[in-house]
Amino acid sequence: MPIQLIGFLLVAPALAVVLLLFIVPLVSSVTGAFDVGGSYGLGNFTKALELYSGDILFTLVIVLLSSGLIGLFSIMIGGYLTLGTNARAVAILRWIYRWPLFIPFIVVGQILRTFLAKNGLMNNIFIELGLMTPAAAMSFLDWRGIVVAFVWKQTPFVTLLLAGAMASIDQSTIEAARNLGAGRVRILIEVVLPQVRQTLLVGLILSFVTMMSVLSVPLMINAQSPTMITANMAFRINAHGDYGVANALGLISLLMTSVAAMVYLRQTMREHSR
Amino acid sequence: MKAKLIAATLVTGMFCTPLAAAELTVLTAGDQNMVDYVNEYLGPLFEKENPGTKVRVVGTGPGDAGSQKILERFEAQSKAGVAKWDADVAVVHEKFVGPMVEQEFLEAYRSKIPSGSLVTRENAKMALGTNVDGYVMPMFNSQTALAYNPALVPNPPKSYDEIVEFAKKNPKQFGYNGIKGGASGVSFVMGWIYAYGGDAQKLMNGPFDESETKKWDKAFASLKEFSRNATLTPGNAGTLDMLSRGEIAIGPVWVDMFYSWKANGQLPPEMKLVLPTPGMPGQPMHYVIPAKTANADLAQKFVALATSPKVQAEGIVKRFNWYPGIDAQHVQANLDKETWQKLFTDISPEELAKNGKPFPIAPYNKAILEAYERQVSN
Repeated sequence: MPIQLIGFLLVAPALAVVLLLFIVPLVSSVTGAFDVGGSYGLGNFTKALELYSGDILFTLVIVLLSSGLIGLFSIMIGGYLTLGTNARAVAILRWIYRWPLFIPFIVVGQILRTFLAKNGLMNNIFIELGLMTPAAAMSFLDWRGIVVAFVWKQTPFVTLLLAGAMASIDQSTIEAARNLGAGRVRILIEVVLPQVRQTLLVGLILSFVTMMSVLSVPLMINAQSPTMITANMAFRINAHGDYGVANALGLISLLMTSVAAMVYLRQTMREHSR
Repeated sequence: MKAKLIAATLVTGMFCTPLAAAELTVLTAGDQNMVDYVNEYLGPLFEKENPGTKVRVVGTGPGDAGSQKILERFEAQSKAGVAKWDADVAVVHEKFVGPMVEQEFLEAYRSKIPSGSLVTRENAKMALGTNVDGYVMPMFNSQTALAYNPALVPNPPKSYDEIVEFAKKNPKQFGYNGIKGGASGVSFVMGWIYAYGGDAQKLMNGPFDESETKKWDKAFASLKEFSRNATLTPGNAGTLDMLSRGEIAIGPVWVDMFYSWKANGQLPPEMKLVLPTPGMPGQPMHYVIPAKTANADLAQKFVALATSPKVQAEGIVKRFNWYPGIDAQHVQANLDKETWQKLFTDISPEELAKNGKPFPIAPYNKAILEAYERQVSN
């Protein structure tokens, strides 16, 4: 038996699984997006844009904003873990920051739904402490609630990657900067960050794609308008049995994530070519 | 030889099992309480009356999504040409029985069971514009209404005009859950169109006329304006949650949910209901039997029990605070006065008859939802 054939036979089962469980459904939902009552056309897309253009923009803004905040917080946490001088504080932070990693999105949504409500736990604490009057309390169960949920859940993930990368850079660069009298913030921004830039980017792109696909959080926190594309897809299917527009919306969010995926691929290609 | 023996045993097994212990599979859409209802109450009762049977209940999820799943399951089995389907009884929302009857998925069984003659209400014959007479038995009727906090709203609005007035004077005190968070918000929107969008009778009874959908622009523009003064809540339960935390003062809810929450202490006992004019929609959930069930007789027996006056009184009214599916007078006789009165504490039977409306027929229903998305939420 020729060696190529054996090779092919060896990968065949894996290939079949990928083909059956991934490629076929993907292709059928892509073609489904163009299926307008039996014939092919762009009807589903015009309808999707007509009904949900605001929500598509909303989704993009929310996810980009969340990614930005996640980046900021993970740099802060990762930076302290690498450059912090108080050993005990570093140990506590290291122990505590990973917790949200193990909490599913739906649970995050559920916790925040009662925590961020107008008369929810957070505002009640502020009122009890005298920091706020009951009349000034407002609900955060709108776009802010979604951003809080995403940032809270995804920051540890990016931090985990980032802190690992920061720990493995050449310590002598940090020592050198320190000897020359640079402050910790300056070391973080000018010495550490440029060396871990790519890891940060990869972490943020993976978070971006994850957040694009979360249904539970917008459903729990604000299923009203404007909401995220995922909630609209669920609504199209559940209320109308309309798979066409749902597929079109799916394809639109796929386009958004594929931009992120392209950046990711170029990044890894560059790393491999080095 | 051995292989033949095993095969023979398997084949005998396949033929014998259904005879030895009949298993009745009940699919139900709706919240967990629907599953609990069959599991804890109806199932054991049926098993006791029919020794040797086993009731297996499968919940397909809350809201329209649950019924949509059941419809898709029937469609799949029909397309695949399966001889005996995997469900014997299903409980589905009103909106989905029309398509099921049209595609001939269901058995016309109502005349074959004793309780069939106890239902005369119109919504057991027509389901959102489709003739379903004979194919369905209503499990219960549900109604939406406005729940309010009398401490904050001493004089509740009694009409849609007064609601608009109220929201103007009390910004953000009226809360509803849009159309994506459950049907109480949908119902409020449908009521809005009944009030301001032209011919309500035509929307409820048909026939569908495309030009009718063009008359709603003004109603939706005013609803958009109104929604700016309102709070949008996360879901049916979200409205009740916000009401109980005092974050809103009034909002549309399902009447049965309202009473259940009050009964188990999730809602303060002072809360009250009002059903505004010209009315808000309600809907039944229906028992249906697939035409290709493997246990047609048993399935009919099950629905007969479920819609008998005794079970409707004890299970539907007393346990779950739903309005009965079969005609009220047959149920009332089986209940003490107090329990019966509880159903009508805030909304009298006359008000219910006058302001309890059906949902619009399916094509209008769909058109209103899409128009809402286009004109109010986008």
